[in-house]
Amino acid sequence: MVSDEKRKEILERLKNGVIQYDEDAVKEAAQEAIEIGMDANEAIFDGLVTGMEEVGRLFEAQEYFVPELLMCADALYAGLDILKPHVKQMDLGVKGSVVIGTVEGDVHDIGKNIVKMMFDVAGFDVYDLGRDVPLDKFVEEQLKTDSELVCLSAMMTTTMVGMQKVINQLREKNPNVKIMIGGAPVSKELADKWGADGYAPDANNALKEAINMISALKKMREEAEANKAKS
Amino acid sequence: MKKYKVIFQPSGRRGEIEEGKTILEAAQALGVDIEALCGGKKVCGKCKVRIEEGFFEKDNIQSGMEHLSPLTEDEEKHIKPEDGPGIRLACAAEIHGDLKVFVPERSRAGKQVVRKAAKELSIKLDPAVKKYNVELPEPSLHDLTTGDMERVLKFLEEDYGLKGVSFDYEALKDLQDALRKGEWKITVSVWMDKEIVKVEPGFVEPSYGLAVDIGTTTVVGYLCDMNTGKVINTESMMNPQVPYGEDVMSRITYAMTNPDGLEKMQRAIIDGLNEIIERVSADLRTNGKNGGSAIVDMTVVFNTAMHHIFLGFNPEYIGRSPFIPAVQHSLNLKARDLGLKINPGSYVHILPIEAGFVGADNVGVLIAEEPYNQDEIVLIIDIGTNGELLLGNRERICSTSCATGPAFEGAQIKFGMRAAPGAIEKVKIDPETKECMYKVIGKADWHTHLQEVNAKGICGSGIIDAVAEMFKAGIIDRSGKFNMDLETPRVRRGTDGKPEYVLAWADETSIGTDITITQADVRALQLAKGALYAGAKLMMKKMGIEKLDRVVLAGAFGSYIDRESALTLGMFPDCDIEKVYAVGNAAGDGARMALLNRGKRTEADEKARFVEFMEIAVEPEFEKEFMMAMHIPHMKDKFPNLKALLEKKKVPVTVKG
Repeated sequence: MVSDEKRKEILERLKNGVIQYDEDAVKEAAQEAIEIGMDANEAIFDGLVTGMEEVGRLFEAQEYFVPELLMCADALYAGLDILKPHVKQMDLGVKGSVVIGTVEGDVHDIGKNIVKMMFDVAGFDVYDLGRDVPLDKFVEEQLKTDSELVCLSAMMTTTMVGMQKVINQLREKNPNVKIMIGGAPVSKELADKWGADGYAPDANNALKEAINMISALKKMREEAEANKAKS
Repeated sequence: MKKYKVIFQPSGRRGEIEEGKTILEAAQALGVDIEALCGGKKVCGKCKVRIEEGFFEKDNIQSGMEHLSPLTEDEEKHIKPEDGPGIRLACAAEIHGDLKVFVPERSRAGKQVVRKAAKELSIKLDPAVKKYNVELPEPSLHDLTTGDMERVLKFLEEDYGLKGVSFDYEALKDLQDALRKGEWKITVSVWMDKEIVKVEPGFVEPSYGLAVDIGTTTVVGYLCDMNTGKVINTESMMNPQVPYGEDVMSRITYAMTNPDGLEKMQRAIIDGLNEIIERVSADLRTNGKNGGSAIVDMTVVFNTAMHHIFLGFNPEYIGRSPFIPAVQHSLNLKARDLGLKINPGSYVHILPIEAGFVGADNVGVLIAEEPYNQDEIVLIIDIGTNGELLLGNRERICSTSCATGPAFEGAQIKFGMRAAPGAIEKVKIDPETKECMYKVIGKADWHTHLQEVNAKGICGSGIIDAVAEMFKAGIIDRSGKFNMDLETPRVRRGTDGKPEYVLAWADETSIGTDITITQADVRALQLAKGALYAGAKLMMKKMGIEKLDRVVLAGAFGSYIDRESALTLGMFPDCDIEKVYAVGNAAGDGARMALLNRGKRTEADEKARFVEFMEIAVEPEFEKEFMMAMHIPHMKDKFPNLKALLEKKKVPVTVKG
């Protein structure tokens, strides 16, 4: 059994490693967590994700910028790569799988990659279609994987209009699928007009949205743990 | 109180305005200058503005006349049918809904400074259109079967050796009268030794041509004397397509989403050019004819999107990957087919396009700078609403396009404005005290020597200076983050709690508030310069180039950028500061060269094909390079030249050497 003190120390190291974008420190802490038999879920959610939440705050306060954010992401992935094989199936009451991609004609994908990262962290099955994705492909992939969430990204006004088409097609085939759209030219009004369920105008907001989602998951997990403890 | 969204064009300023305020009040609140000589008493009629109708996807705004109070009697007196539709007086029209308002050139109080002034070119004169004097013997009954045209053509062949020349139909219609009016002496303008495009009675020496640079934001026309090569008049205006979208992408979207969008924008730019033609040639007016008819040749450069819209080609496919243009080769089109009011028989020469996003304007830069005739490795940066890069020498040249966004032009910057009187254009910050001094356009001296400063905002060159100086003074670190531990009132937190630097205190400004550089402004500039640097770096990598011998800064305000500030920020990889040149509007220079020397036209077509286009954004390394390039000057790359320069000047920050 791992001592509370040791657990706290490792969680702290994971968190700070992400915030200070120190890949090596994160790797070391993650390795140690596995070696001493710590719960990988705990290491991810209370270590890495807590760190990323703080990164999100710093980004929003404009203290961190895209380069810092991407370096933090690299550190986070370094930890995730080590911890993920040891994750036990989480029973959160939600099954997560998501189709994500940048729409046809658009080759910008930094924003999309940041959102994708948060899904990875949350343990979603992520079907990343990449960039310049033909519109039909989103519908096809959603049907094939039966994902409950589809995320569309566009950085250019010219390609953004393609999103509406995808949304219509998806709704026709599967009215229950949740659709999130994102990218610089996207606005709340457009999301409403086109019938998307959520939107994020930039990496900043995408990150915030994604972190909110993960935070919600985290809470559910804590409740589930608490319930388990009670029974 | 209900508030509505109001956007002013072409300045792009926007905000939420309370219901019932007038457009003039909204303009004043948002820092938009509208001429109001009578002080808003509805008597001078100077504040005419146009309301844009329809839904604008990019701004997500539904604008229309019905969002205003009804037309007043005062307005009816001033608004004339020739003003066109959608005109209101800003001082009388009250806001009752979302609006997009265009402020026409003549209603703008602060006139824009033309930063596309022409420089002297040294080029051999060999224009495409040449004038020939023709003198025929008066015909008699003995020349029974020979027509006027045949006699002129025979003369051209015998006296000038011009064979197989044809006649433009409009020019031919003028021939009979011209011959008789000129007592059998005429002057013909021959295009490319092939076609007579103009006939004038008598021997006429002066010959005029017009070189045009259609930028996304600014349009400039240079009237040239074809006998001397000199620019005799320059006229510019805001691109009249701005109301349909501030950047290329939103204009393409406008064409895609509005059934008559393309036609409207094409009409706008042709009308705009005709206005430039009229203004530029006002002194050439003769015999009641419009001055424009004296212009016998015209060349045009523009980016690919402006090119397509000007020519009425669907711009949809150049707005999305893989960015295929309708045509790449140069074109010669009759002025009358395009509706341009120069000599109707003349051709308008459209320079070729390099690739997708790299347009004829970049070809203009290419033939003006001729990197293909040099041994030195040169990086040419053409900074406009987009950033275009050319890299190489006589062996190989590559080009790419970087999405810099409009930060370099002062847009998306809190107090950003275009280069006009009142704009801060130069900044110096004392590294010790963190105090600053700056220069304002329209004032001869630094602000510290002025009684009245009246700064209104900051333009592109000022922002570049300010951020570079903030870095040198340790106000921001290399990641762009503010140092909040400095003992100076100039570094503070704004009302939103975010860090900012006070450049001008409220009493030095004409807008009644402090002018600041915010953390978000620094970030916007980092994104823009990071895109340029990453583009240059990846091209260098792919071409196996280690270092740059020369850097050329081109573009409307290229010559106003302080090269030391540009190098300090890391807008491009390290280079000897003495080898960094600002050349001004090289695209316009290229258009003039093609006007004055027809060999340059062939050269443009050949060299446009010689240049290899690289799509940088899809490179797997792009994200990483872009990220590292956002730091000042760079996260990892060494800057030995900059390091030496900063040490020599005893600047207390260090960069990697």
